[in-house]
Amino acid sequence: MSDSLVILDPTNERTPIGRRLATRSDRLGGTLGIIDISKPRSDIFCDEVERLLRDLVPGLDIVRLRKPTFTKPAPADLRDEVEARCQAVIQALAD
Amino acid sequence: MTFGHGDPFSPATLLSFFFKYDCATCDLTAPLVERLHRALAPAGLRVVGVSQDAAVETAAFVDKHGLSFVVVLDTDLEVSAKFGFDAVPALVLARSNRRVLCSFEGFVKQDLLELTRLAAATCGAVTPELVRDENQLPECRPGCGSKVHDPDVTRRLVGRLGTAELGARRVRVQAGDDPFEFMAAQGLDDGLPVVPPTEVRVLQMLEGTTRAAAEVVAHVPPNLAPATVEKIAVNAVMAGCRPEYLPVVLAATEAACTDAFNLHGVLATTYFSAPVIIVNGPVRHEIGLNCGGNLFGQGFRANATIGRALQLLVRNVGGGRPGGVDMSTLGQPGKFTCCVGENEEESCWEPFHVERGFDRDTSTVTLFAGEAPRAIRDQVSRTARSLGASMGLCLESMAHPKLHRMSEALLVVSPEHARTFARDGYSKTDLRARIQDVTARPLRTLLPDDACKEGMTLAAVPKALLDPDGRLTSAALDTRVPKFRHDDDILIMVGGGTAGKFSAVLGGWASGAAGSTAVTVEVR
Repeated sequence: MSDSLVILDPTNERTPIGRRLATRSDRLGGTLGIIDISKPRSDIFCDEVERLLRDLVPGLDIVRLRKPTFTKPAPADLRDEVEARCQAVIQALAD
Repeated sequence: MTFGHGDPFSPATLLSFFFKYDCATCDLTAPLVERLHRALAPAGLRVVGVSQDAAVETAAFVDKHGLSFVVVLDTDLEVSAKFGFDAVPALVLARSNRRVLCSFEGFVKQDLLELTRLAAATCGAVTPELVRDENQLPECRPGCGSKVHDPDVTRRLVGRLGTAELGARRVRVQAGDDPFEFMAAQGLDDGLPVVPPTEVRVLQMLEGTTRAAAEVVAHVPPNLAPATVEKIAVNAVMAGCRPEYLPVVLAATEAACTDAFNLHGVLATTYFSAPVIIVNGPVRHEIGLNCGGNLFGQGFRANATIGRALQLLVRNVGGGRPGGVDMSTLGQPGKFTCCVGENEEESCWEPFHVERGFDRDTSTVTLFAGEAPRAIRDQVSRTARSLGASMGLCLESMAHPKLHRMSEALLVVSPEHARTFARDGYSKTDLRARIQDVTARPLRTLLPDDACKEGMTLAAVPKALLDPDGRLTSAALDTRVPKFRHDDDILIMVGGGTAGKFSAVLGGWASGAAGSTAVTVEVR
């Protein structure tokens, strides 16, 4: 261990990209998306979240969205839809 | 005494014996290699000694042992570096430079006897007797370090072999720092020490493939980062792979990163799943991959390091780490490594990869998202029908007895059990049908009830049992539903040692397009 040793970097060498969180709104308004990730019973959970929100914020526009499968990341068209339609989003797990 | 500098590495069957003159284990091995040469040279075996020393020392070694085979000088160590071993003596039995039949370092009696048997078989000769009494030989003697790893030699080789083609970022471990501790501190390991991927080691690893170092093999989840041949080689070095394993690691990477295998999901799930690598075809024997006893256990370098290389790649290139994207609740030991070969020679059926559409002589890798193996014990059945029933009953408990039509399963049939199926002419199709039959239960027993709230959801119920409004039909509750959605969801391979009436099943994860499907690719 007297000499220094050169090794090759086994990682992807990507410098982590700093992502700034989106600005948080202090009140709910506009369109809120609730994404069901397709876990069993997640529809029941999302229904309850939607019911509570409608009671809390009368007039809130809520859209329900759904990932094709919980085992994979959301596809690009779903991400685009969220960006185009929603001012806020809740991604809901179940089980 | 014959010294040469030409190219002696071109005959059909070649035994290369790497040695140093001042190595006691080389002294032990040399007379045995000489006897092997005398016995099998007439049958076509070419034995070549490769000396890491200069001519004077080499001549002394040859005289001392009365060697009559050709000895070449590798004083610049380029040949030794390309073969990639760490110690001498090293014996490599090959059909050509790239097709290694058997190799080992140091002195290992069982390996030497196996090499002798293979060499004779390859030449079509009777296995010669190396000593009158094998008990005279020690079981094992460590070798001496190959000169390739002498520090000054390393620097020379790096210059000669051309590190310019290596694109990876260089990381300097400062003098006084232990490289193993350094790599652990950087989070580059899997909890066990990793081999430092020096330039020489990576160059040696790249000798295992003809593919360009810069070629992108796949994009590795979860970060979908590009994995070049070089990056895979770096992680293979860290895992402890030998260069000849690299094509299998490359193929495993390709298969794992397909959409069908869905490595992202396999990694991210809270379930137990790990990539299980199944290897078929000639490459199994070329790299010494275990297909026999202790199949899922320890003690076999190819098995242990190929699976580990894939896991390190997922960690280091893909960014998938426990506590991060890897959210497994309990994990399982196979997440360190899980790579097995099919015991095609003991199988009563066509090999696993042939069933999946490949030629018998093609080497393949299949990736399966599996749990840890669990036992199927049947020491009593003497008919295929009874044994098939045992297997079905054991498979029914996968995940939960009431959860049917959820996933694939990998059934690993032991050679003794395979012989029972062979005696009755039982095909894989017969076995699958038997498993489906004995696991079929009335739907009413599989649905959630007061005794057990877990059970099949309507989404998993066969469509034929639902009315147009998605409700169960009147006949549905008494309809028998088998464990697997499709017969082909039961993957069957033969593996393990020839003694023991025990088979195994590895449960799958979510199957189909929404989960993970087994993927087979060719090893090139």
